[in-house]
Amino acid sequence: MDVIVEEVTQVWPGRGGADIVALERFTHRFASRRFSCLLGPSGCGKSTLLQIVGGLEPATSGKVRIVDPARPREPRAPGAGSVMVWQSLNLFPWRSVLDNVAFGLEMQGMPRRERRERARALVASVGLTGFEDYLPGQLSGGMRQRVALARALVLERPILLMDEPFAALDAQTKIIMQEELAHIFDRTHKTVLFVTHAIEEAIFLGDEVIVMSARPGRIKEVLAVDLPRPRTPEMVSTPAFAALFDRAFHLIREEVMTSMAQQAAALSAP
Amino acid sequence: MSAARGATRLAERALPALVIVFFVLAWELVVRARGIAPIYLPAPSAIALYFGRMVADGSLPANLGVTVLRIFAGFAVAALAGVGLGVLMGMSRLAARIADPWIAALYPLPKIALIPLLLIWLGTGEAYKIVISAITAFFPIVISAYAGIREVDRGLIKAAQDLGASARQIQLKVVIPAAIPSIFAGLHLGMGVTIILVIAAEMIGGSSQSGMGYLLMQAGQVMETEKVFADLVALAVFGALVIKLQQWIDRKVAPWTAYRDGH
Repeated sequence: MDVIVEEVTQVWPGRGGADIVALERFTHRFASRRFSCLLGPSGCGKSTLLQIVGGLEPATSGKVRIVDPARPREPRAPGAGSVMVWQSLNLFPWRSVLDNVAFGLEMQGMPRRERRERARALVASVGLTGFEDYLPGQLSGGMRQRVALARALVLERPILLMDEPFAALDAQTKIIMQEELAHIFDRTHKTVLFVTHAIEEAIFLGDEVIVMSARPGRIKEVLAVDLPRPRTPEMVSTPAFAALFDRAFHLIREEVMTSMAQQAAALSAP
Repeated sequence: MSAARGATRLAERALPALVIVFFVLAWELVVRARGIAPIYLPAPSAIALYFGRMVADGSLPANLGVTVLRIFAGFAVAALAGVGLGVLMGMSRLAARIADPWIAALYPLPKIALIPLLLIWLGTGEAYKIVISAITAFFPIVISAYAGIREVDRGLIKAAQDLGASARQIQLKVVIPAAIPSIFAGLHLGMGVTIILVIAAEMIGGSSQSGMGYLLMQAGQVMETEKVFADLVALAVFGALVIKLQQWIDRKVAPWTAYRDGH
């Protein structure tokens, strides 16, 4: 599934009548089976873009089409074929690990036995066998992250939207989760839109890194990441990785400075 | 080191009980040594004696039973109506708009002030005691249920929507379970005020010849202070049992609330 975003603009009504332009004329084709990372300073509208693509938020203007490359004439509306993994996870605290993972299947009306079987397989695939009956509150951050991932993957939707999913994890857990996600991508080849503000993470995971400007969010540059797959942690220390990091760092640096100045101005405004 | 820690743990377990024993003993000794008249402060041994007698002649169990029935009747009415309306208000903006001014106006009214009116309307029978306690308990229950539904984490609703839940599924499978801790908190408050109001109604109603409130008033009027204390002990034990029961139900129905940061 391709995600085609055309001239998408998102405006929030701001305090005192001054509207906030979160995204401005964002245009990009997120190609099938490609892992795209959206990299930008906070407030640049990356999360907003995911919500629009996921059909959870209408865009102020512009268009999002979901297109099966085999049937280019039958575009579908945003939200079709996608599922989100949230930064705040949004696991249902009263449901066990298994019931959290089975939630989407349950909503589709799949019989209990079948959905539990499917969920069990997904729980196993993220390495949580034995924790099926635990509540999310009993798990560590990394384990909860796996539950959230399994809950999204069980639906087998072709588009995976990930909103800074690893931002809250400690450094070691984050590295392991990144590797696992890279493996999952190698197996399933979904279209992935991955929002992050960590440069290394974007390069390590992505086929392309879309560097965004400070608010209003626009595309500043698209970096192609031609590191081979499967990705391994050793690649982080290769010259190719370093060159990409350098490039992305310089692009993002300016934007982060602009973003910080904007935030300072917003705070000191009357 | 570990022996010291073991001793600390033992002290932690034993000390609360020891303090109670010490308190009762000190009370007994002071009453005896100072020769305090039982109508002011009876000794624990005298209270225990009366307690035993009242249990044996059946007056304590019978009256406590009547009071407990009234409490649960009033609470059941308040819980059904309060949770029902609170959930309805949380789900329907129209219902919230209609009910809100009534709740805002009636909530701060001291419900005891309604007793004369209810006595005129309902007489001094069971209906009056159940209605006064139900009205009082209704407000904290409806307000907590409404707040619980309204304050459900938007993230959970969005996640459910993204996972394909319909509006109806979101209400049933996300909003209501997410509101359960708040609904239960309201029920706890409601149970507390139901107990207060039933006892008060039994005291004030005058004509009713049963219940712990009646027993207390009767004993107080003839200065049988030992009986008053025995009644208070029975009520305190009953209250503690109700709280334990509620905590047990909470753990059974909503075990996830024991873990903070559950999602």
